[in-house]
Amino acid sequence: MSLRALWIISYEKDGNASIRFSRRFSTVEHRAKCLAGPSYVAVPEESVVLQLLLTELGLSDPDRSFVALRDDCLHRQRSPALELHVDGPGKGILWPMLAISQGPLILACLCLVDAPLEPRPPLANLLSVSQGLSLLAGLQTFLFGSGSKPDSEGIASRLAMLPSILLQVCPLGTPLDVPVLGASNTPTVPVPAGNQKQPAWKTGVHRGRAVVNVALKETVRSMQYGQRSRQDLWDVYGTVTCKCEVEGVLPNVTVTLTLPPNGSPLQDILVHPCVTSLDSNILTACSVDNCDGSAFSGPYKFPFSPPLEPFRLCSYTSQVPVPPILGSYQLREEENQLCVSVNLKLHESVKNSFEYCEAHLPFFNRDLMGAVDVKVSSGQVDTSKEKNLLVWTLGQRFPKSREVKMEGRITFSGPTPGPTDPICTQLTAYVKLYFKVPDITLSGCCVDQHSVQVYSAAKPRIVTSRDLQSKEYFIWNSTGCAPVSSVQMML
Amino acid sequence: MAVNWADRLSAFSLSPTEFLSGTTVDAFLAELLREIRDDRASYAVKVLLLSPLCEYPHLLCPSDSVGEETALELMSVFAQCPPKFVQFRGHVLLALTSVLVCTSCMSSRSPASQDFLDVLLEISQNTVDLHGDGLSHSLRNIACDCLRELESCSPGLLSQHVELLDGLRHRETSHLHQAYAGLYTLVLRNAVYQLTQETGAGGEQLKSLLGGNTVVAWEADRDSILSKDSGVLSSLILGPMGSVPTLQTGPDCKELRSILSSLLEESYLLTPLCQAALLHRLTEVVAMVPGIPPAIFRAQLLRLLGTSKVCLFHTTLLMKCAFTDSLFSAEDELFMLKRLVVLSQHPLLTTADKLFYIDCILHFPENRPISCGDGDEALPVLLTPQLASVLMPTVFNDSATLLTRLNLMSLVYLEEGDDGEGKGPAYLYEHLTALLHIVESRGSRENIVTFFRATFLFLMYFCQIESYSSSLVEKLCELYVHHTHLAPHLISLADYIQDRLSESNWAERLLQAMQRAITEVSLTQLTLPDLHSHLKMLGRVAEEGKIPQQSTLRFLYSIITPSSSTLCMSGDWHLGNRVLAVCRRLLVHPSLDSVLVPLADILQHLTCHHGDIDIQDHARLYYTLLTTLSQEKLAGVLARGATERGRQIKTRSLSCIVAESEGLTRALTIHRTEKAVFSVVVVNSETHQHTHAMSESDLPQNDADNNPDDANIILEAYRGQFNDPDFASEITLSYQLVHTQANDCCFDQLFSIRLHFSLTDDHYEELSDLSIPCLFREGPLPVVKLRLKPRQPFPTTLQASAIFTTQDGLSWHTVLPAICVAFQQVFAPLPAPSAWGRSSKLILFERLWDEICSESGDCAVSLFCCQLEDAALSSLSEKHFLPYLISDLSHKEELKVLFFLPPQSHVLLRIKLEEDAAHFNIATDKWQLLPHINSYLLTITSSQEDAHS
Repeated sequence: MSLRALWIISYEKDGNASIRFSRRFSTVEHRAKCLAGPSYVAVPEESVVLQLLLTELGLSDPDRSFVALRDDCLHRQRSPALELHVDGPGKGILWPMLAISQGPLILACLCLVDAPLEPRPPLANLLSVSQGLSLLAGLQTFLFGSGSKPDSEGIASRLAMLPSILLQVCPLGTPLDVPVLGASNTPTVPVPAGNQKQPAWKTGVHRGRAVVNVALKETVRSMQYGQRSRQDLWDVYGTVTCKCEVEGVLPNVTVTLTLPPNGSPLQDILVHPCVTSLDSNILTACSVDNCDGSAFSGPYKFPFSPPLEPFRLCSYTSQVPVPPILGSYQLREEENQLCVSVNLKLHESVKNSFEYCEAHLPFFNRDLMGAVDVKVSSGQVDTSKEKNLLVWTLGQRFPKSREVKMEGRITFSGPTPGPTDPICTQLTAYVKLYFKVPDITLSGCCVDQHSVQVYSAAKPRIVTSRDLQSKEYFIWNSTGCAPVSSVQMML
Repeated sequence: MAVNWADRLSAFSLSPTEFLSGTTVDAFLAELLREIRDDRASYAVKVLLLSPLCEYPHLLCPSDSVGEETALELMSVFAQCPPKFVQFRGHVLLALTSVLVCTSCMSSRSPASQDFLDVLLEISQNTVDLHGDGLSHSLRNIACDCLRELESCSPGLLSQHVELLDGLRHRETSHLHQAYAGLYTLVLRNAVYQLTQETGAGGEQLKSLLGGNTVVAWEADRDSILSKDSGVLSSLILGPMGSVPTLQTGPDCKELRSILSSLLEESYLLTPLCQAALLHRLTEVVAMVPGIPPAIFRAQLLRLLGTSKVCLFHTTLLMKCAFTDSLFSAEDELFMLKRLVVLSQHPLLTTADKLFYIDCILHFPENRPISCGDGDEALPVLLTPQLASVLMPTVFNDSATLLTRLNLMSLVYLEEGDDGEGKGPAYLYEHLTALLHIVESRGSRENIVTFFRATFLFLMYFCQIESYSSSLVEKLCELYVHHTHLAPHLISLADYIQDRLSESNWAERLLQAMQRAITEVSLTQLTLPDLHSHLKMLGRVAEEGKIPQQSTLRFLYSIITPSSSTLCMSGDWHLGNRVLAVCRRLLVHPSLDSVLVPLADILQHLTCHHGDIDIQDHARLYYTLLTTLSQEKLAGVLARGATERGRQIKTRSLSCIVAESEGLTRALTIHRTEKAVFSVVVVNSETHQHTHAMSESDLPQNDADNNPDDANIILEAYRGQFNDPDFASEITLSYQLVHTQANDCCFDQLFSIRLHFSLTDDHYEELSDLSIPCLFREGPLPVVKLRLKPRQPFPTTLQASAIFTTQDGLSWHTVLPAICVAFQQVFAPLPAPSAWGRSSKLILFERLWDEICSESGDCAVSLFCCQLEDAALSSLSEKHFLPYLISDLSHKEELKVLFFLPPQSHVLLRIKLEEDAAHFNIATDKWQLLPHINSYLLTITSSQEDAHS
C-alpha cells in the first residue's frame, strides 16, 4: 500500500514537457526489490520515465501522425494503471503507473505491488492503487486550488511547497493523508479535551460563534433529440455541502434530507467519511436497478462529526419524470443559408425565476457568419461572429406562457472557416442551455433548517440553501443526425 | 552557495549516474555530509542536501560500511541540531531510515541501526511538548512513520514492543493516535504472521505476544524465519488462489478480539488513507486467526460501502476477497456489484476512480468464483446486460473510458451468448460507426487512434459475426479511399488482427478489399501523398500469399509508364523505392509464376527509364534475380532473415529501409549491447618474433664487423638512424577477435566491425580506428595488428569499443574488455641496420653499456639476482630473450641481452651464473623503467623456478 515514486510533470500543447517535481521513495523501492525478486524492474532515470509516460499517454511526438509504439491498435491504455516498457516493447515492464492529467500538469505515481507479479494481480487486490489514486487526487486539488482556473504562478508556488507538504502527508512513500487546502503545514496543536481522541482529519478545534451552513445543489443534465425514434434523456444529481463551525473535539451534527410525499427516492447515495453511521435503507436505492415503488423515501439522516473546512457531506442521484426545460431545435439548409427554429418550454413545476438562463447555438465546420437575421419572442440575442455563436439571453423569467421561440436565417459567407468540431458536421448541431434556478430542487429534496441537529452547548445559527443548475444540457437539431449512443436506445 | 547547491542537486536527481560520472561517489557523499554539518549553511539548504540520501541511498552508500558510517554521521547531526528546526530534523530521520534500510544495515541489525531504533522509540514515547508549539508533535509523527517503514522493511523488528505501542496508542488523544494505531497494527500483523510460521504456536503464544511477554527463544529465531520467507512482505489477500497461513487458537481470543474492536471503533477518527491501510492490516490479521469471526467488521461495513472515497470502498472489496460468504451474503454481493456499477459512471467521481471501479468489476471477488482467478478479466455472474447497460460507451467519453467500457460491454454480450441475433453487438457496432463518422469528419489524432483501437477490440470479440465483419471491411475501405493518410493505422489493424485471430481471414479480406479499392481508382485523381499511401498499402497486400497480385502489378505498371504519370521522369527516389518495396515482396510471393512477366516488365522499365540511378540499380538487381534464379532460390535469397512472424523483413537493404518507414529509425539507430559481444585477445606473438630473430642472426657476417676500433662509428651510425622521427618508433602487437560466451545467437555473425581505442594515460600517441570485415562465431579468428607509438615505454591499458552490424542490418555499439599492454610487449629487438652482423651489435652493446655506466642523468645501472640452475637459465633465455639476444646463446659465461623500447630507450642485460645464483646486471638509459624491469624479471624467473622445482 505504498508508492515507489511520485512525479509531477508539466506538459504544453506544443509537446514541451518537463518534470516539475519528483520524489523517489527508496525504502519502498527496497521492498519492491525484495518482493519482485528476479522480475524486479528498477525505475529508470527521469528523462526516460518522462518519455515513456508521454508515449503511454499518447502525448509523445505530437507532430507525427503515426508512431507504432504510441498508436498501434493492440496497445490500449489500461488506464488508470499504465505500463511503462523500460527495455523496449514487452520487456521490463513497470506497472502499475497511475497518471492523471489536468490542464498543463500530469500527476503520476508508481505503486508498490505487494503480491506475486506472475500472474499479474488484478488492481482490485492492490490497496496501493486506490491509495495512489487518492493521493494524486488530493495533490491535484491542492495544486489547482478550488475550482478556479489554474494560474501558472499559483501552481509554481504550490509546487514549491510540496517538499514540506509531503513530509507531513507522505514522508516515506506510504500516504497518510492528502494536503489540506489552505491549512498551514505545521499542524495546529489541539488542546486535548478529556479522553476524547482528536480525529486525525481535523487539525484543530473551532472557537467562537457556532454556525452551520448546509447548501443543497442539484445539477440537471439532458440530451433532447426531438425525434420519435430517440428517447430524450435527462438525469439529476445533487450534492450537499456543509461548513460547520461548531465547538468541541468531536461534535455531533445531524443533517436530514426530506422528500415531498410523492417524491422518487434518492439513489446512489455517497457520503463523506466523517459520517458516523448509515442506515442500510439509505443505500438500497440504486439507479442501475429496477425501481420498485416500495423503496425507502426518507427521511435521510446523516449523523456526522464535521471537519473544520467545508466538505461535501453527501451526494445522490434522482429520477425525475420531466426535464425542467423541454426544447426543440430545427435547422434547414436553404441555398447558402440556415433556417433556424428553436422552441423552449419551461415546465410548470419549475419556479419561473432564474438567476440566469442562456441558450447557446454554436455552428461548426462552416465559414464565418455573415448576415444574421433572427427574431426571438423573449430575451435578446448576441452574435459572436468570430466564434460562429449565437447567445440567446433569456434573463430571469420566461414569459407567462412559459414558452419562448427563436426564428431566423443565418448566412455563412465569411472569408475564413469558423471553428471546427468532428462531431457537429452538416446538420448535426445543438442548442446548449445554461441556467440556474435558486431555491428549488427538481427532486423536491430539501434540508429543513429545523432538521439540522447540533449537539453542543451553544445554539448554533443554521443557514440552509438550495438551487438547481444545468450542465451538459443539450437540445439536438431534430432534422440532423444526433450523435446518439446506443445505451440511450436501450433505455 | 544556496543557488549552487540547488542547481547541483537538481542535476543530480535528473540523472544520478551522469552526475556521478563527473565526480566520485565518495567525494560527493563527503561533500554532502560536510555541508550538512556546516554551521554557516542554512537549514533550508540542508534539507535539500538530505534529499539525495533519502532518494538514492543505494547509490551514495554502495556498501554496508559506508551506510553505517553515514548513518553515524547523520545521527550526530541529529543530536546536535536544535529542536526548533523540525523540518530539518524530520528529514534527517527520513534520510537515516533510507540509508539504513537500503544498505541492509537494518536487516543485519548493525550498531547504528540499533541506536537509530532507540532514538526513534525515544522520540515516539516523548509525549511532553516542552514548547507547546506542536513541534514535537510533528517530529513524533515522522518518527512513528519511520518506525512503521522500518517494520515494513524488516518485519518483526518491533515485535517485542507490541505492548509498549499498544499503550502509546491508547493514551494518545491528539491526532498522533493515528500514527500509533497504524504502527501498532502493522507490528501486530507481522507478529501474528510470525506466529503462524512457528509450529505448535497457538492461543497461548498469541496471548503472551499481546501481553508483551515475548518468548525468549523467539528472538534468536527471528532472523532466520524472516530471511527465509519474503511472503511476510506481501499482502495476504490474494483472491481465490492465495492461501493465508493460519494460527489455530481455538475460539477464545478475548485479548486479540478486544484489541481489534477498539482499533475498529476508533478507525473512524483516522484519515481515509490511514483508515484504509489499517482496515487492510486488520483484515489480514482476522484472516490469519480463524478464532476471530470476520463479523467483527460488520459494524463498519455500511459506512464503508456508502463512502465516496475510493480507498475506503476498496477495503470492502479486499474484505470480500478475504472472507467471501463468511462476511458477505449473496444479497450483499449483489448490492456491492450494483454499487460498483454506480460508482463506475458516477458524475461526481474522477475518471481515474471510475476506470478503477470498472477494473474492479472485471475482477470482482465473487463468493463462489467459477474461474480460478488467473488474473484474466472475468465477468461476475451477477452482472447482467441490463445492469451493465449504463456503462455503454458514448462518443462523449474520453478515449480511455470509451475503450474500457467497450471492452466490458463486449464481454457482457459475449457472455450473454449473442450470436449476431442479439441487440448487444448491434449497439456496439452502431457506436463504432459513430466513431467512424467522427474520424471521417477530420477527427483529431486521438479520435483516429481511439477508433482503430475500438475496431480492434470489437473484432476481437465479434469477428465471427459475418454481417459486422464484412460491413466493417467495406466501411474501412471507403474510409481509406477518402483518407489515405490512415494507411499505417489500417496496416497496424490488419497486422494485429492477423496476429491475434489467426483462425480468422478478416485481415486478408480487408487487405484484398483495399487492393481492389486502390487499383480501381482513377489515376488522374491521384495525388502524391495518396500514391505514397497506396504503395505502402499494396506492399502490405503483397505479403499475403493468398491474394492474387495481378491488379497490383497493373497498377504499378500504370503509374510508372509515362503515358499516365510523370513519376519516371521526375525520378523521385522515395516513390521509386516504394514501388521497389512492393516489387520485392512480389518477388517472394507464392504466385510469382503467374505474375512473372508483368513484374519483369515493371523492373525492366524502372531499370531503363527511372530518373534516379539508385532506383535503376536496385531494379536491375531485382530484374536479374527474377530472371536468373529459380523461384525457390529467389525466395531463399530474399526471404532469408525474415522473422518468425514472417511478416517483417528483417534484412534491411537500403531500399527496404525506406520502404518500411517504421523500421527506419530502428535501423538508423546505433543500439547498445548489454555485455561485450567479443573481446580482443593477444596472439601468442613469440613464435613470430622468434623466427624473425633467428633469420637475422643467420645473416652472413660482414667484414666491417670485424673492426673493433670503429665502435664510435657504429654508435654514430646507430644513433643516426633516429634522425628520422618515425624510425623504430612503433611497436606492432597482434590480437585476435574472439566471441565472448555464447549468449545471443543474433551476434553470431558480425560485419563491418570498427574498433575504436582510447588511451587511459598519455604515455602513447592516440590510436587510429581499425576495421575488420567480419567475425563469425564458428569461423577463423580475424587478426588485428595494433600499432602503438609510445611516448614513454610504460605498460598501459587501452579502452576499446566497437561498432558493428549484425546480420539483420542493425548497428550496434559494444564496449569491449580493456586491453592490457604488458611491459614486455613494448620490447623490440635492437633496430640495427639490416646489414649488421652479430659482432657490430656486440660492439654497439658494449659501447652503450659503457656510456650508460659513465653517464648520470636518466641512466641507471642495477643488479637483479636469483637462484637459477644452468639449465634453467638456458631455457629461460631461450624462452624470453631469444629475439633480443646480442651474444650467442652458446656463449654460456655471459649472455648479453638488449631490449629496445621505442621511441629511444634501451635496457641492457648481462646475465652471468655466479656460484649459486644468476646475476642480471642491468643498465638502462631511462631509470624510470627500473621498477618495471624488476617486476618483469621477477615474473619470468619465478615461473622458471617453479618449472624446475
